[in-house]
Amino acid sequence: MSTLPALDTDPAVGRFRDEVRQWLAENWLGERQAAHDRKPFKERGWDAEFSRLLGKKGWIGLGWPKEAGGQARSPSEQLAFIEEMRYVEAPTGFHNVGETIVGPSLIKYGTPEQKAEYLPAFLRGERSFGLGYSEPEAGSDLASLRTRAVRDGSDWVINGQKLWSTGGDKAEHVWLATRTDPDAKPKHAGISVFLVSLRSKGITIRPSMAMYGKTFSAVFYDDVRVPAGALVGEVNNGWRVITDALAAERVMIGNLVAHLRRVFDKVTEHVKTASPGGRRLKDDAVIRDRLGGLAAEIEVARQFVLRNARVVESGRAPLYEAAMSKVFAGELQERLSEAALDLLGSGALLSEDAATAPIGELEQVLRHSIMGVIGGGTAEIQRNVIALRGLNLPRPGGG
Amino acid sequence: MAEKSGASAEERQLLRDSVRGFLGTRWPVEHAVERAGDAAAVTALWRELSGQGLTALGSDLTEAGLGEILLVFDEMGRASCPVPLLGAVIANLALRQQPSQAALLDGLHRGVNSVALALGDYDGDSAAGCVDYANGALTGTISFVEGAATATHFLVMVDEPSGLAVVPADAPGLSVTATPGLAVPALSELAFAPSRADFVALPGEMVAELAQIARLACASRAYGAAQRAFDLAIAHAKLRRQFGQLIGQFQAIQHKLVNCLIGLDGARLTLDSAAASYDRGDPSWRIFAAAALAYSGPALRQVVLEAHHTLGAIGYAEEHEVPRHFRRVHADLARFGGAPRARAELADYLLG
Repeated sequence: MSTLPALDTDPAVGRFRDEVRQWLAENWLGERQAAHDRKPFKERGWDAEFSRLLGKKGWIGLGWPKEAGGQARSPSEQLAFIEEMRYVEAPTGFHNVGETIVGPSLIKYGTPEQKAEYLPAFLRGERSFGLGYSEPEAGSDLASLRTRAVRDGSDWVINGQKLWSTGGDKAEHVWLATRTDPDAKPKHAGISVFLVSLRSKGITIRPSMAMYGKTFSAVFYDDVRVPAGALVGEVNNGWRVITDALAAERVMIGNLVAHLRRVFDKVTEHVKTASPGGRRLKDDAVIRDRLGGLAAEIEVARQFVLRNARVVESGRAPLYEAAMSKVFAGELQERLSEAALDLLGSGALLSEDAATAPIGELEQVLRHSIMGVIGGGTAEIQRNVIALRGLNLPRPGGG
Repeated sequence: MAEKSGASAEERQLLRDSVRGFLGTRWPVEHAVERAGDAAAVTALWRELSGQGLTALGSDLTEAGLGEILLVFDEMGRASCPVPLLGAVIANLALRQQPSQAALLDGLHRGVNSVALALGDYDGDSAAGCVDYANGALTGTISFVEGAATATHFLVMVDEPSGLAVVPADAPGLSVTATPGLAVPALSELAFAPSRADFVALPGEMVAELAQIARLACASRAYGAAQRAFDLAIAHAKLRRQFGQLIGQFQAIQHKLVNCLIGLDGARLTLDSAAASYDRGDPSWRIFAAAALAYSGPALRQVVLEAHHTLGAIGYAEEHEVPRHFRRVHADLARFGGAPRARAELADYLLG
């Protein structure tokens, strides 16, 4: 398949990439992947059995410190791993939140009991988490969240509602952001994070279908009791815990870029070989021009991701750089899938369920593209972050 | 292909500081506009740059590789400095192992020679013209050539036979006509009717590589100009008040400038990656170069437009610095086939 040239300048990274590829060839490609692909679309990307297999191999927690049971792999190696996994659509949904958000946060803020209970289970691929952040009145303005946690004896009692929780209907636990001080000023000074079993009494989960073809859930909390040991870090220090967790997640943007490369490579392969109506697509100057432009943008997206890894390797958190890569890659998914409609015409409207679809996933990629722009902090919020932290522009409002 | 560049990150920073410091005193930005069209001033600066070793850039890639070459072009763009570095770098890269051209290069390194480069048959712009070389003479017309006014020699890329023709500026049969326009100093048209020329035969692949390096150099120079225009826009947004607040507080301005930063960084990262791949001998470097050119063209042009939007009428006066960068960015990125040629190169690579 035609693809942009490889870019591992460090031989150690290249060797690890080869090892990952080899392992995936033996443990994912073939019958296991075929069986996964036979599942309905909404079930894909979540595979407890595969997560356990990966855990057994030791490839969950690649970037975790060794004393926490991880491998302390470099960001470049983690990126290579993420790219190889995503390029073949190996499922990570089951262990992903635990590995990239909850685990690193517990390593930093968790009690010895929390570490003992969760970290080994994450590493083995045996514990799944969903995120409980957004609420009806707290989307981009997450610090306005209202779900209340009130101390009652040795327990905390939680009341409120979370929205748009991906994996909320599949996961066993939730990483839950709550308000523990309603009078705090600024408002993000009154937030605390809890580890909550989604099987707890008082929790109601109502999944609904999101446009990309998988569910996200509204989760209702009615007098849900959790023990004091479920609190992560200090009371009212949750904002710090949440934002640090985002920092640990940053190399993950490579995931989206690898996905875009795979989609782009499929489109390229189609253009290279298809002759609808006897007219070879690859002879069309307009199509060639459009495809060449997209190739350049894919390369830019890859360079942004590599820069994130370099910044992390230099010991600095890539605050605005990561936001730049997220904005660029998210919006590139929209451009790529919109372009696919022009390159393939009506055929790009057909799903994998249509026998005659030229590439049966493009319409899903288009539906999914909105998520990359609005999910995990919208592109507008990312631009605000870049303006403040990258350009040192003054805060909006005021005189 | 490069022999591998040896410059470390610290050495690169030293080079950047030294070029920026030198140009800051010898080519101060407040006089850049009036002096750009003054051939005597440009020639005098060129002599001084030879003292810095910059007219020999490209002679020894183990000392200063393509990464360092692009860095110097970046600084030239930033300072709006129109010295004939493009011709010098390509001449040094192409002719350093040609004994017949030793005198030309020696004069170049001493700052008494100045080479103007014509990509000719390798230009990538079908309107750039073409030339024929036969029996020791060059015939034809080439347009859109920079640095002709100060040139002592012209270096012309020829397709069949493949190689480089070297024509002294005073060669009989050669006429040079300035073609005024967006570029300052003006581009020129060269008519060889016919003109005696030295010919250095080189494989076509190598000439094509030199043309790609010339494109990267121009894109880096445009990057430097766009970055400088952007820096001025940012500074303005932090000072200018309207409606009782700094305009940099308006999200309409903030998001515009963030988009510029994305464009600038995307261009710089891909240009650096192309240069680094060349300097480590990666045969894929031309694809990385094509990606950098395809992205940088539209992105950097947009940056300089947005810089103007942010500066408003203040930046619209020709005596302001930014119009200089506007001209430079467009003139450097539209030439040699521009982004459409680069997109076509990527499509050729992917689709055959």
